[in-house]
Amino acid sequence: MIDDTIIDSVFADLEDGHEKFRVFIKEVSCLLAGGEVQLWLNEEQNWIPVEIFPEFSKSDRKKLLKKIERQPLVRVQTDKSGEIYGIAVPSIEVVMLVRFSGGEFNLVDSPIGSSLLQNTINLALLKCSQQDIRIENEQLSRQIDALNRQHGKLIEDNYRQYRVIQDKEKSYARKLEQEIARQTAELRETNRKLEDASRMKSEFLANMSHELRTPMNAINGFSDLLIETELDEEQYDYVKTISGAADSLLNLINDILDLAKIEAGKLELENVSFELFEVIERAVAMFKIPARNKNIDLSFVIDPIIPPELFGDSNRLRQIIVNLISNAMKFTESGQVVVKVELVEHGVLNLLRFSVRDTGIGIPSDRKSAIFEKFVQADGSTTRKYGGTGLGLAICAQLVELMQGKIGVESEVGKGSVFFFTIPLLSPVVGHDRSASLPAVDHQEQAPEVLFAGRERPRVLIVEDNKVNQKLAVIIVKRQGCDVEVAGDGLEALQILERERFDLVLMDVQMPNLDGIEATKRIRALEMKTDAGGYVGLSGEKLVIVGLTAHARKEDRDECLAVGMNDFLTKPIIKDKLTAVLRKYIPRN
Amino acid sequence: MYNSDKIAKKFNDLKTLPHVAIRVTQLVNSEKATMHDFEEIIKLDPVLVTRLLKLVNSPYFGLANRVESISKAVVFTGMKHLRNLVAVEGLRDIYKGEDSENGFSRRNLWLHSATVAILAEMIAKRIFGLEGEDFFLAGIIHDIGLIAEDQVAGELLRKACAAYQPGLKSLVESEREIVGTDHCRVGGLLAMEWKLPDEVLNAIKYHHETKKQFPLESAASVVQLAEYFAGKLKYTTIAGKVDPLPPHLIKHVQSMLANYKVIVRDLPGEMEKAKELYNPAA
Repeated sequence: MIDDTIIDSVFADLEDGHEKFRVFIKEVSCLLAGGEVQLWLNEEQNWIPVEIFPEFSKSDRKKLLKKIERQPLVRVQTDKSGEIYGIAVPSIEVVMLVRFSGGEFNLVDSPIGSSLLQNTINLALLKCSQQDIRIENEQLSRQIDALNRQHGKLIEDNYRQYRVIQDKEKSYARKLEQEIARQTAELRETNRKLEDASRMKSEFLANMSHELRTPMNAINGFSDLLIETELDEEQYDYVKTISGAADSLLNLINDILDLAKIEAGKLELENVSFELFEVIERAVAMFKIPARNKNIDLSFVIDPIIPPELFGDSNRLRQIIVNLISNAMKFTESGQVVVKVELVEHGVLNLLRFSVRDTGIGIPSDRKSAIFEKFVQADGSTTRKYGGTGLGLAICAQLVELMQGKIGVESEVGKGSVFFFTIPLLSPVVGHDRSASLPAVDHQEQAPEVLFAGRERPRVLIVEDNKVNQKLAVIIVKRQGCDVEVAGDGLEALQILERERFDLVLMDVQMPNLDGIEATKRIRALEMKTDAGGYVGLSGEKLVIVGLTAHARKEDRDECLAVGMNDFLTKPIIKDKLTAVLRKYIPRN
Repeated sequence: MYNSDKIAKKFNDLKTLPHVAIRVTQLVNSEKATMHDFEEIIKLDPVLVTRLLKLVNSPYFGLANRVESISKAVVFTGMKHLRNLVAVEGLRDIYKGEDSENGFSRRNLWLHSATVAILAEMIAKRIFGLEGEDFFLAGIIHDIGLIAEDQVAGELLRKACAAYQPGLKSLVESEREIVGTDHCRVGGLLAMEWKLPDEVLNAIKYHHETKKQFPLESAASVVQLAEYFAGKLKYTTIAGKVDPLPPHLIKHVQSMLANYKVIVRDLPGEMEKAKELYNPAA
């Protein structure tokens, strides 16, 4: 705390001791509007003028002092500028002089006047004593003003900051957007490149199909032929092993190529009528022997309300079902595998649900979605234990997707799995062109009997540039009791046809010099002419031409049929299929 | 003998206002500065953050709610207040040092500076109705030149202090004679180096000026007044010595004597509230 003595000492150098009188004069002056106020101060028994009206002389002062001792209010002097009164203020030990200008009345004679003056003095004294409070108030109000201004500035500043921050955020957001846009573009570009690369890879694989299948074809075909020759037991065993290995290699190649084709967008589905029962039965039949060996009860159920004949790609449908059964068989040690076909929706478009239920090892739930990916099995160790490429289910999934269907699996580890897919299949329309359908391959008739035994041997012209395929085709056709002539290309074929007649021409599509398409066109054109342009081979009935295409694409087939081929076969040359064609087009009697 | 440049440079190399304080001071003058910028700079010094939050929540600010972050402190007290606190924290370290009985004591100088700062702020607010932040900063930093001299030319400064006789030979005069320069000049150079506001710089440079007259409400005049009253209350620059006020300021005080008396009377209360700020034990 700072008391008055300290304050006095602080201000000692600044004060003349008259401060309180100055304050008093100020206060009284404020109250006495129009009055001029001065004080006399009595110090050490002497009256000392604080400030003196210049016209108030020394003798006047003496007179006043004498009078004031007798009466409190003295009228001192009247002059032109007004009247001067003296009044004692004992509490601060001064005599106050006040001059009223132009006053006409005498304050001394008027009791009201003198008491008014006295009251004014008392009020001024009171105000003096309250000076501290007043000053505090003043200071407070100044501080409040300052605070208000400060507050205003603070609000302004906060608003300014808010705007700056907002601007910053906006520009940050803009930058972020630009950055995202840039990265997105980059990603899109990278993605496009990757897709290109992937498509090119797939195209490459698809194009490899021809190159891969040709030698496989030879290995398969000739080991099949070799098995039918006279062999000792050891040789038979070796050939059987080669044949088995070649089969599984071909399957693998087919799987990979299928997948590549699907991914390259090159796989197109057929839309032909087929018998559902036949497709399922055949698929199941393929697994009869392994099922028996493993002691698995393999069966199938088809909902009888499903139309027996449907439209779609039966080969691909069979492929899916075969894959699923194969999968089920692979992972089931014993128990059951049941193939089931149910009708989900009936109409022109039948929504069918195919399912293959097994009692195998099952799939952990966290692996369920992954198993439809390429090269993935539920567990890496399964590959070692059960074999397989992990491509089967991926192909199934892709094919089902291509058929606008959905594939899925329900499974419980240790209890078994149900693989199912639903696809829409059309009911056949009456009068639909069925010529596009491949000749049915009857797996039951695999007995190596000779087709054209004991009668005039039919003549077949094989037009094929590839020596291996040539040889294979020649052997297969000859075995069926036909006479065979070979041409290396279309030109050669035409030369032969000029002088010889044939019951059937097997015409490769891709050949040097003159390809199968062009050759067929010319043949058909010649046939239209009178006496067939002198071509002996074309003078009789319309020649049966069966195309051989490396590509299984729809447009290739369509082209074959468009130029006038009767039918076509897809390479590799498969004995059964070729035999079926011969059976179909060459009358046996 | 030294010149002001040499002392300022040498001092700046030895013991300068922390980088944080200089950055913050510049931020206050920036149109683009936000509370986040303050926070970014200040949070690099976790000790400072703790100290600042303690100060912001001290009775000096009398905030209704506890402030828990620097950005909030900026929102509630304003950038200038926060700048002052950062400066106070930086200066406190600079003013730390050994005390000597030889008429010059860093500890007393710190107390003197804090008193001048508080008084300057009070005078600015209560007499002139102005915002007090710049006056506070001017007050707390006005004698920085003395610390620089002490750091660089301690012996000479002590001699100057001894030769200083209020009324006969001012401190500034004896500094110029003995040290070669004075703390106002040195402080002014430092303020320039630290990019303190012009108002503060002038107060440092001219707080002992007797010939030049500055407007009454300028920081130079207000600090001079505060310096005088602080001295009279025994918070002297140099123990027991107070320079007289220049005549125009005497006249001003006389005209508002009662007002100044109230300020002197209220000073202990204000000092108590601000204790956390200048308490050297902190």
